[in-house]
Amino acid sequence: MKNSFFIFLIFSSIIFSQEKNYLVSENLFSPSNIKIFADFLFDQKDYLRAADEYERYLSFVPNDTIEFKIALTYSLMNNFNEAAKKFNVISKNSSFYKPAKIEFLKSIFQTGDIAEFRYKYSEGKVNKSYLDSSGMTSLYMYSFLLTGEPLPYEDEFIINFPASERQKIKNFYEWGKDPPYNSQLKAAIFSAVIPGLGKIYTNEYWDGIFAFIATLGTGYLSYDNFKAGHNLRGWIFGSLTVGFYGGNIYGSATAVQIFNAHIRFNFINDLKSYLEDKNYFLKIFN
Amino acid sequence: MISYFKYILFFLTLFNAKVFSQIVIDNQYNYSLRLYNAEQYFDAITEFKRLLFFDKGKKYEYNANQYIAMSYKMGAKFSDAIRYFTIAEMNARDNDELFDSKIEIVRTNILRRTISHAIDLLDSMKADERFSSKSGEISYWKGWAYIFNDKWDKATREFSKVDSNKTLTEFCNNVQREKYSVTFADIISHIFPGSGQIYTGHYFSGILSLGWNILWGYLTINSFIDNRIFDGLVIGDLLWLRFYNGNLENSVKYAEVENLYITNRAMDFLQNGYLGKKP
Amino acid sequence: MKSNYSIFWINLSFQFLFSLSITAQTDWVKWGKADYPYHINSPVQQRDYSFDMRNPGRFVIKSLANAYWFFISDVDGDNCSFSPTCSYFFIQSVEETNIFQGSLMFFDRFTRDMDIIGKPDHYPRVPDGHLYDPPSLYILDSNSINYISPSVVVKNE
Repeated sequence: MKNSFFIFLIFSSIIFSQEKNYLVSENLFSPSNIKIFADFLFDQKDYLRAADEYERYLSFVPNDTIEFKIALTYSLMNNFNEAAKKFNVISKNSSFYKPAKIEFLKSIFQTGDIAEFRYKYSEGKVNKSYLDSSGMTSLYMYSFLLTGEPLPYEDEFIINFPASERQKIKNFYEWGKDPPYNSQLKAAIFSAVIPGLGKIYTNEYWDGIFAFIATLGTGYLSYDNFKAGHNLRGWIFGSLTVGFYGGNIYGSATAVQIFNAHIRFNFINDLKSYLEDKNYFLKIFN
Repeated sequence: MISYFKYILFFLTLFNAKVFSQIVIDNQYNYSLRLYNAEQYFDAITEFKRLLFFDKGKKYEYNANQYIAMSYKMGAKFSDAIRYFTIAEMNARDNDELFDSKIEIVRTNILRRTISHAIDLLDSMKADERFSSKSGEISYWKGWAYIFNDKWDKATREFSKVDSNKTLTEFCNNVQREKYSVTFADIISHIFPGSGQIYTGHYFSGILSLGWNILWGYLTINSFIDNRIFDGLVIGDLLWLRFYNGNLENSVKYAEVENLYITNRAMDFLQNGYLGKKP
Repeated sequence: MKSNYSIFWINLSFQFLFSLSITAQTDWVKWGKADYPYHINSPVQQRDYSFDMRNPGRFVIKSLANAYWFFISDVDGDNCSFSPTCSYFFIQSVEETNIFQGSLMFFDRFTRDMDIIGKPDHYPRVPDGHLYDPPSLYILDSNSINYISPSVVVKNE
C-alpha cells in the first residue's frame, strides 16, 4: 500500500510538471514582486512605468538605491527637472548622497538653465575637492563657453580641465574669446559703394549678384526713360532704384547678423557634441 | 501512520499552491480588464504587462497582448498598437483569434493612413484558405481602406460584394458622384481661362481670371502687331503667362478643395453618424 | 574596495548591455484616450482679409494688401517660394518695425526672391515645401534671431 501511495504521488508530480506552473508569491503587489517587475520595465526602457513601480516599492521599503534609480529613470527620459528634484531628496546619510549631488547639478545643467546651474554649484553642499575630482568643476567652467558671456583668464580657465583635453578646450576658448564674426558696418559700406558687395562679403554670392542686377537694372531703366522723355516711368523706375539700393544696404547688415548667428550656432553644436562625447567631464567611479 | 500524514500534507500544499497561483493570475487579468473598460488605458497597459510578466503558464498571452494593443489604439498610438497586435497574432491559439488580430492590424493601419499596408494584408488574407469563410468581412474592411484613401469608387465596389451593406455601397456611390473631376477642371481651364473655377462654383474668381487673361492677352497681341516686340515679350511672359498659369493652378486647387470638403463631410458622418463597425 | 555606488553602476551597465532594444518612448509621458478625427486637414491656408483698425496707417496698408490679394494674388497663382509670402512679409515687417524699415526689409526680401540659383539651399523649409523666412530675422535685433539650419523642416511657424 505504501508503494502504491508513492507511485500515486510520483504520478501526480509528473502531472503538475506538465502544467508548467510554478509557485508565485500569493500577491503580485508584494514588495519583492513589485521590484522585479519594475526592473523588467526598466530593462524594457518603459521608464515612466518603471519609476511608478519603484515609487510603489518605496512606499513599502525605503531604500536609497531605489531612490537613486528613480531619479536616474527620469534623467533617461530627458525629464531633467524631475530628475533634479529626485536626486536632491536623497538623504545625507546615504552612500549615494555625493553622487546624487553630482547628478543633481548635471540635471540642472541639462535643463539648459545655466544660471541656475552655476548658482547651485556655488551653493554647493558637497565639498570643493569632491566637485573637482568628480569633474563638476570642469563642467562649471565649460558653461561659460555656452553662454557667450566674458570668459575668465585663459590659465585660470584651462587648468580646470583634464590634461588630455586642454588643447581642444584651448581651441574652444580662443574661439569664444574672439569669434570670427563679420562686421555689419563693413558690409553696409561695401554695399553702399557697390550694390551687392556686402552680401558677397557674407558669402551670399548669388543674393549679391541679384541685388546688383536689380539696383543697376532699375537705375538704367529710370535713366533711359528720363532720356526718352517718359518722366512718369522715369520716376517709377527711379523710386524702385532707390528702394533696391536702400534694401541692398539694409539687407547686407542683416545678412551679417544671420551669418554671425550661423557660425555661433555651429560653435554651440560643436561644444554640445564634445560635451556629450566626454560625458559632461563627469567621472562615474570614485 | 504519521509518515503517511506528512506526505499527504505535502501533497495538499502542492495542490493548493497550484490552485492559488492561478487564481492570482486570473484576478490580475480581471483587474486589468476593469481598468481597460474604465478607459484608463495607460494603467491598463501597466497591469496587462504585469500579468504577462508573472503568467509563466502563458494562459493570457494572446488576450493580454490583444488588450494592450487595443489600449494603444484607443490612445491613438497606432504604431505601438500594431506591434502588440502582431505579438498577439503570434500567440493566437486558433484561426478565429488569428483572424481577429490580423483584422485589428488592418483597422489600425487604416486609422494610421498606411493604406497600402492595410490592402496588402487584406489581399494576403483573402488568398489564405484558413479565412475562406471570412471573405465578406475582408471586403468590408477593404472598402473602409479605400474610403480612408479617398477612393470612393473602389470603396463602392468592395461594399457591393458584401450583401448586408447596401447602406455603405449607396453612400460611397453618392459621394463619388458628388465630387468634381479635377482633370475636367484642368482641361477646360486650358481651353477657356476661368472656366475651371466657374465649374467648381467659384464664379467671381473665374470671371476675374478670365478678365485678366483677356486684358494681358490683348495688350500682348497689340504689342506684337505694333512691332513692339520687347514690350510684347515682357507683357506676355511676366503678366499674361503668369495669370494664365494662375488660372490653371486655381482650377485644380478649387476642385481639390471642394472635393476635400465633400470627403470631410462624408467622413464626419461616417465617424459620428454611422452605426456599423468602423476602423 | 569599490563603493555601493560603483557596484550599482557596474550592474546597471550590464543591464543596459543585455536589455532588449524595444524603445517605449511613447509611454514616457502619461496619456489618455484620444479623439482621433477621420477627416483630412486641408493643405490650403485661408487668407486673413480682416481690417486693421488700430490706426489709420495700419488700416490703409491692410486695405491695400487685402485688395492686392483679392484682385491679383489669389488669381495669378502661387508665385512666391517663401513663407510668409512677400506681401505678408511686408505687412509683418511694418507691424514689427515701422513703414520705412519695413519697406527696406521688403525690398531686400524681393531681391532675395529674385535669386533663383542660391535660394533653394539657403533656407529651411516648411512642410508644404516653401522656404521659411520670417521677418524676425531681419529687424536688426540679434536677440530675435533664432537661427535654423537649412536642412530642417519647420513644423510650427
